[in-house]
Amino acid sequence: MSSTGTGIQPPPPVIEAARSPVTAFAFAGRTKVLPILELALLIAASIAPLVLRDYITVYATRVLILCLFALSFDLVWGYAGILSLGQSLFFGMAGYGVALLSRDFGVGSIFAVLPAGTLIGFVAALLLAGFLLLGRHPSSVVFVSLGTMTGAYAADRLARGSHYLGGQNGIPSIQPMTIGSHELSEGPGFYYLVLTILVLIYLLSRFLLRSQFGLALAGLRENEQRIAFFGYKVQHLKAIIFAISGAIAGTAGSLYAFHEGFVWTNMLGVVMSTQVVLYVLFGGSGTLIGAVIGTAIVEGLSFWLSDNYRDIWPIILGVLLLLVILFRPLGLISLVLGERERVGHFGPSLKEKRNAAP
Amino acid sequence: MDTLVIAMFEILSFGAIVVLVVLGLGIIASMMGIFNFAQGEFVLLGAYVTYLVHSVGLPVPLGMLAAPVVVGSLGFVVEKLVVRRFYAAPIVAMLGTYALGLIIREAVRGLTGGLYLSVPEPISGSITIGSLHFAAWRGVIVIITLLVMAASHALLAYTSFGLRVRASLENPSLARASGISTGMIYSVTFAFGAALAGLAGALIVPVFSLFADLGIRFLIQGFVAVMVGGVGSFAGPVAGASVIGTFSAWLPWLMSPVIADVLVFVLAIIFIKFRPQGLISGRGVNR
Repeated sequence: MSSTGTGIQPPPPVIEAARSPVTAFAFAGRTKVLPILELALLIAASIAPLVLRDYITVYATRVLILCLFALSFDLVWGYAGILSLGQSLFFGMAGYGVALLSRDFGVGSIFAVLPAGTLIGFVAALLLAGFLLLGRHPSSVVFVSLGTMTGAYAADRLARGSHYLGGQNGIPSIQPMTIGSHELSEGPGFYYLVLTILVLIYLLSRFLLRSQFGLALAGLRENEQRIAFFGYKVQHLKAIIFAISGAIAGTAGSLYAFHEGFVWTNMLGVVMSTQVVLYVLFGGSGTLIGAVIGTAIVEGLSFWLSDNYRDIWPIILGVLLLLVILFRPLGLISLVLGERERVGHFGPSLKEKRNAAP
Repeated sequence: MDTLVIAMFEILSFGAIVVLVVLGLGIIASMMGIFNFAQGEFVLLGAYVTYLVHSVGLPVPLGMLAAPVVVGSLGFVVEKLVVRRFYAAPIVAMLGTYALGLIIREAVRGLTGGLYLSVPEPISGSITIGSLHFAAWRGVIVIITLLVMAASHALLAYTSFGLRVRASLENPSLARASGISTGMIYSVTFAFGAALAGLAGALIVPVFSLFADLGIRFLIQGFVAVMVGGVGSFAGPVAGASVIGTFSAWLPWLMSPVIADVLVFVLAIIFIKFRPQGLISGRGVNR
């Protein structure tokens, strides 16, 4: 492998589609794993609060919110090949935004704060994408990752230094979220609310990615130059998916703020955005369910291990991550999911698509 | 006038620290095309080794000599075991080295117990010139940085090892056909970059004291500096580091440190946006 270790090359596809007809044929005949997996997880998630103790349900709610956050990163990295190391910027900004709404204006209605958080994430991501991705020269992956990381770092620093935003301590004791006159506190109610939102956004993303737009994105990830050659405006596609993912991160951030009852600078900073990279890589980028599974496993393990092995848990996490990157670059999901099914197919039939491909 | 000279010295010495940290990062990025996210943690490890040597009662300079050796050896092993697999996919390399950095950082955090530990300056006190006082250790850092810079450049530009490194950079297959073991060259180059980071960590630990997030502080700064300077050449990262170091040290004199810190990075990113090739767009090592 060392023969190619020079200079800067165009980013090779991290995720290789199964190209050989033989593999494709082998998978075409099998039962589909993905829908079964999704359904099983949904059922498990639906009955979880009934069997879990209350404090674990609260923890599980947090995990679901983080799943939503992980989805947003998976959309940009797993599907469009944009390495956003500052995804927490949108998560945290939305969190701070709704916290301010609640603190300064007393707004806590779910119909106000969720759209507000989503909008904050969307606008912030759109602006950042407009700067980082659009322009005369196409931006390199390294530049975009550096730019997003700097964004998160800068936001973290500024929030820490700002009295208005509560400095180091963040904004504590946010009022509970309300639906009409009903106050939503931690527990099964909040859990099912988050689960519903997660499922809705999951389905929307799934629909989006299996559409014409998703097809163009998949092409973008596999071979950017070819897609540009076909006449797609590559940078626009990237900016759109980046903004969408920002909106999802914003939704997650506003939910998180109200669930935890406070926001603090870590939500904005590099710590949070590297955590989400970890979730997605662990579970498997390029599949929506991989992001969810990765988050659940990492958070589950940390819940279980951090009690007994608080000090060495982060080290274990690092080692596990390294092993996954080295030996399972497609994440844990690749253990059960075949190549063909992971990439998915678009349009009427596989055969047609392959004939149409150059 | 006196404050101006003192300010200039402060800026110079901080610039030297940034150059020292960035040099290893720049060599690995330019010569191998790998953006090493564990570089900040190599700095941290260098600092930790120095602290360790100091805490068992041995003199601090000994620790500073040991740090590059220890970190360099670790870099060699890490390259053989991990980084080697990533040359075909530089982006995955960023993530892989990030995981590596996480392991080192958390290990050090566990070992230090999350405390801020201080290491005394081996040369303390100040140098007095006329009515001006300069912190002696910062002066030493400036001098060592200049020496290391010159030595690294000489190594890459004038020795046969440097020739091999450059050959492997420009045309790996031809280099291999000419009997150069490119695999070995990559290992040694990576180890060299790591050793420089280790040295940087050892030298700056008396100034910044030792804490687990010491590396992160320099990581973003280092990457921004490499991009501003331009990847691919020896002079690029050094120039970038000088610029970033100067601004980072100078702007806090004009405005609040928080704003200055953020402003440097934002300005740098805007600069890279409009000049992606960086300050110096050449390739290789100029002689």
